[in-house]
Amino acid sequence: MSNNCFHCLESVPPGFSATVVIDDSAKPMCCIGCQTVAETIVSQGMTDYYKFRTVTAGKVEQLVPEQLELIKSYDNEDIQDEFIALNGDISEVLLTVEGITCAACAWLIEKQLLNMPAVKLVDVNTSTNRAMIQWRKEALPLSEIIKSLLEIGYKAYPFQADLEASQKQLLAKAYIRRLGVAGLMTMQVMMFAFAMYFGMFSGMEESFEQYFRWISLILASPVILYSAMPFLTNAINGLKAKQLNMDIPVSLAIFGAYGASSYATLMAVGEVYFESICMFTFLLLLGKYLEFRARLKASEFTANLQKLLPLTARTLDENGHEHIIAAKKLKLNDRVLIKAGETIPADGIIFAGSTTVDESMMTGEHLPVNKYIDHHVFAGTVNHDGAIEILINKIGQNTLLNQIIKLQHSALATRPKLVEITDKVAQWFVACLLIFASITAISWYQIDPEHAFWITIAVLVATCPCALSLAIPTALTCAVATLTRKGVLIKQSHVLETLPQLTRFAFDKTGTLTQGRFSLDAVDVLVDSLSKNRILALAAQLESYSEHPIATAFNEFTPAQRDLTNIKIHPGLGITGEDDNYHYAIGKSGWFDSKKTNAQATFYIDQQPVANFYFVDEVKSNATLLISSLQQQGLTCHMLTGDASNAGQQIARKLKLDSFKLGCLPEDKQNEVKLWSSQGEIVAMVGDGVNDSPVFNSAHLSIAMETGADISKNTADVVLLNSDLAAIDHLLKISKKTRRIIKQNLALSLLYNGSILPLAALGLVAPWMAVIGMSASSIIVISNSLRLLKL
Amino acid sequence: MSVIYILVPIAILFVLIAIGVFFWAVRGEQFSDLNKQGHSILFEDDKEQHKKSND
Repeated sequence: MSNNCFHCLESVPPGFSATVVIDDSAKPMCCIGCQTVAETIVSQGMTDYYKFRTVTAGKVEQLVPEQLELIKSYDNEDIQDEFIALNGDISEVLLTVEGITCAACAWLIEKQLLNMPAVKLVDVNTSTNRAMIQWRKEALPLSEIIKSLLEIGYKAYPFQADLEASQKQLLAKAYIRRLGVAGLMTMQVMMFAFAMYFGMFSGMEESFEQYFRWISLILASPVILYSAMPFLTNAINGLKAKQLNMDIPVSLAIFGAYGASSYATLMAVGEVYFESICMFTFLLLLGKYLEFRARLKASEFTANLQKLLPLTARTLDENGHEHIIAAKKLKLNDRVLIKAGETIPADGIIFAGSTTVDESMMTGEHLPVNKYIDHHVFAGTVNHDGAIEILINKIGQNTLLNQIIKLQHSALATRPKLVEITDKVAQWFVACLLIFASITAISWYQIDPEHAFWITIAVLVATCPCALSLAIPTALTCAVATLTRKGVLIKQSHVLETLPQLTRFAFDKTGTLTQGRFSLDAVDVLVDSLSKNRILALAAQLESYSEHPIATAFNEFTPAQRDLTNIKIHPGLGITGEDDNYHYAIGKSGWFDSKKTNAQATFYIDQQPVANFYFVDEVKSNATLLISSLQQQGLTCHMLTGDASNAGQQIARKLKLDSFKLGCLPEDKQNEVKLWSSQGEIVAMVGDGVNDSPVFNSAHLSIAMETGADISKNTADVVLLNSDLAAIDHLLKISKKTRRIIKQNLALSLLYNGSILPLAALGLVAPWMAVIGMSASSIIVISNSLRLLKL
Repeated sequence: MSVIYILVPIAILFVLIAIGVFFWAVRGEQFSDLNKQGHSILFEDDKEQHKKSND
């Protein structure tokens, strides 16, 4: 333990020694970052954090000046419009905070920010990783708040709630309020109902019974008129759309029984069913709320979108002076300077400089693309290593990025949908119910007109589809909880119903079937004087200064001691460095006028090539297993990739895929999937890039990788948190099991409804029997669903 | 037994107060993050203490 950092619990690297005195004893630290953070925490008197945290903090990264500049840019008034709400002289902002792991973090953040007098209110939500802050903006710029969070080790950026997310939040609160009212009131109504049950057996004064009925009516009214309202509105909306949904029999039972019971109370005749309908409303709301919350959590997780586009841009005026302006204020033909590591703010043409650009978010391919004068660069892609000046030629909605997003939105409207089981069952259930109720009413009207109305109401209450309506949401909630535990986030309710019906899987290549990063495949040493290991160590040392994706392939060879100096990065070429004797370089083949080969990187000593390196993007270890398992289950597997090279062909052959298509644009992927679904196939798309997000909305089901672009995770129905392909197999298994449980639940509840129906029709069901029957059947269904939690 | 004509309305009044408190708690975001609220009792408010130690 003593060798681990007290702050982040990572091991302390040899040669680094630093301690911070926490609660009177010196604790080891692994890096300057952790040390500063721990010191801040101690000096602010917040060591309680270490006492009560349940999860360790992440390793603290040191900030680079560019990041500080970015934080400063949040103070720009033009940008602030988008995420700061003004309320008098109090501003309110929602920040997404990275690294919140447990309740102790929330406390630490709240305490740190409230130490500043200008901050009025902080509310940290540990499940969404967001902090709501209210403060006086004139007294304290936003950048200071973000900086003070950095001091205690949390990275924060403004969160822009989209309309959908904020509506969901409101809906969640409304659910809780309705649930609270229904719960509290149902308890009271039950209490009086029990008094009346006893009165039925042992006799009760007429005046008391009438009094209890009135009290029950008063207590039940908020439950029915407030808590149960969504059922009625859903039913009416369904009818307007000429669809019979589950809410129709539900509202028929609730509001029919409520009306009849109120009438009975007013007129002092017949029976009252207040307790049944209150209990029913509460159970149903609970089931619906739990299902809603499971999905809300999943969508909140992916809603913390890092902005795809930068907020600011550096424009150059005629005299070559730099001005930092809000990126949305860019105009056509503006000249913009983009430094290394920055994100390009709008589409444009390079007119000065050369660089390599990481276009992986567009194409899914991680290898940077070389860009020279007159080349196009696209908004949202990241400039790798050189500074360039571009002339803006497309802004706003016309940029390639927004074209892709538009494609995705338009696909959503025409998304293929399967009929959900609930709707199918509801349709014939409603029909049967109405027929049966009217038969009962008509026949009893012939026999005993006085009782006909009350017996019909008893039929409505007895057939009240409580267990039936709980059958599906409870099973889905339990399955979603199990999957979340296994690292699979389910964001849409249809997922588990669609899965068992799939006939086709389509995969993206890079990052989905493959690792999405390069590993060393072969080293070709061209001289005898140096060993392969020595070359690798030197190359790795140079590459450790590079952010090029190929550089990560050398990580495992990086020596502990670095002795090279004068490291220089040459955009589009490679990296050079020196020691006392030699000049070293690693970069593209053909550098320094050497002979060009097809090696992906070459190592040079004194400008002479000494070794060639070849890399592959390795196929994920469990991809083969998944594909063969899917094929055994009768599903066909296909690959749609943006990569046009023959690497795709090799992988398709290696994995024995049924078909593959190379060089696909986002539209091509979409068209392919649309073609399949028009042929009656049910298609799932698995991908990770921005370029996959349009096709996600064309497929019946979409699965994104956690390592993928934020926008694709936000669009997808399912997110695989550990990007593990084997999870798809689990997903299929659990969805099949869920389907079985749903069928059992439906059978059980129909059995209950079916057996109590004749009794009710014969006028043999008293209100207390209805309550017991309904609760018992609901509990059986819920217990059956709970079995899904044990998977 | 006629006392219940007074006691029951009083009980209902209490229920209404409970619902009022519940609505207030929902508006105060107390139900948006159950994890945090459960832990909040553990932390001492030692603001005074560290102010002194800083002096």
